[in-house]
Amino acid sequence: MESVGEGFPAVAVAAVLKPSADLPAGSLQVRGYDFDRGLDHRALLQSYLTTGFQATSFGQAVQEINRMIAAKLEPLGEEEETHADLNPCHRQPLGCTIFLGFTSNLISSGIRETIRYLVQHNMVDVLVTTAGGVEEDLIKCLAPTYVGEFSLRGKELRQSGINRIGNLLVPNDNYCKFEDWLMPILDQMVAEQDTEGMKWSPSKMIARLGKEINNPESVYYWAQKNNIPVLSPALTDGSLGDMIFFHSYKKPGLVLDIVEDLRLINTQAIFAKKTGMIILGGGLVKHHIANANLMRNGADYAVYVNTAQEFDGSDSGARPDEAVSWGKIRMDAKPVKVYADASLVFPLLVAETFVQKASAFTSDKQHD
Amino acid sequence: MADEIDFTTGDAGASSTYPMQCSALRKNGFVVLKGRPCKIVEMSTSKTGKHGHAKVHLVGIDIFTGKKYEDICPSTHNMDVPNIKRNDYQLICIQDGYLSLLTESGDVREDLKLPEGELGKEIEGKYNAGEDVQVSVMCAMSEEYAVAIKPCK
Repeated sequence: MESVGEGFPAVAVAAVLKPSADLPAGSLQVRGYDFDRGLDHRALLQSYLTTGFQATSFGQAVQEINRMIAAKLEPLGEEEETHADLNPCHRQPLGCTIFLGFTSNLISSGIRETIRYLVQHNMVDVLVTTAGGVEEDLIKCLAPTYVGEFSLRGKELRQSGINRIGNLLVPNDNYCKFEDWLMPILDQMVAEQDTEGMKWSPSKMIARLGKEINNPESVYYWAQKNNIPVLSPALTDGSLGDMIFFHSYKKPGLVLDIVEDLRLINTQAIFAKKTGMIILGGGLVKHHIANANLMRNGADYAVYVNTAQEFDGSDSGARPDEAVSWGKIRMDAKPVKVYADASLVFPLLVAETFVQKASAFTSDKQHD
Repeated sequence: MADEIDFTTGDAGASSTYPMQCSALRKNGFVVLKGRPCKIVEMSTSKTGKHGHAKVHLVGIDIFTGKKYEDICPSTHNMDVPNIKRNDYQLICIQDGYLSLLTESGDVREDLKLPEGELGKEIEGKYNAGEDVQVSVMCAMSEEYAVAIKPCK
């Protein structure tokens, strides 16, 4: 090694000043929002694409969802229109079927309003959620959820009859109101099953509850109005299940057919021209949608928003590329995962996508 | 045309059941489950929570048939409690499978069957052995059965 006195050591120079290869053509330069230009919220959100890290993922998710929407709004060819008769759901066929999945905590949060907007304006085609995702929406029509703190002690809350969901609070009383509202409906459901031969499934039950709540603040009110099926194969895993359990002592025999619902969700994917998945959170809602899309050799578009990591091999944390290996997302797709809490990110995603194209969406016309 | 009213039997006129708030029931008490008078063998309460109002889970044994029944009731609702009367009658004889019993008023009633199973065998056995026995008869919700045997004082 040459001495320091005669110039820089060659090895070190070669390492530090290694010449770089050219970056691919069209590479974006990193540039964040300049507040000196004044506060323009739209431009601020658009600047995320070149800001890097999850902001860039956000920008890419916006692009992916916009591709989904563009495909959805493309008119179908004549031949494709007739094929749609095979879809048991009888929604008006469109160029892209969008599956929206969300965990129940998001319905407890204000994201419920964002989801309600999408469902109200018929911007998505299939919903998948867990039991809490259904009941929390209905309960909010009867009594509100409150903002609390993550740090509130469980013991004191239990003694005050208040339940905590993260930093949100739901008083027990809300569930009592829900019980009083739900029991007569369960009576009716059992009666219709026994006397009219009605075959209930989770999606049919959710549609019925949406009809009964009859409140335009509810996601499921709009879902049944726009004929958007809501799938929830684990519908008993929540307060709804508790109510059904207790109700079964008085009027036993209610049957919810999850096989029928399985056929419903899979056929939504199979008979779609193209499909897109927007999945908020992990667990059942993530996998159920991905698996349905396996039935058509993969979704064309996908956006995941969740905070899970892949290092434990969980499905919740699995990146979209893992789904490609299963055939749940197409090999030529450009799926995006945003590592972020959906409560922070989803309203902004919707603001940059669906809201921009709001006028193009109309209410679902009932397919004859 | 008025129906014939039977004035011969005197009864305090108490109804066969009376309502009681679910939360006031106790283990070893009595309650009507699925229309049957039962003795409560298990009782647990789940406090108000995401399943709604506080609820009481009851397990009871039919006092006559021994069959197990379950029910769940909101703790603020009423449940029916059977009026149970227990009387001891001296056994006079057994005829054609029916017990001949001496009532307090000195009348004889022969409308109660010899119960099946072990109790029936025990009654028969003691009667045939010439022992003086009393039969305990439980009466609830217009059903009456011999439920136990006692030696006479």
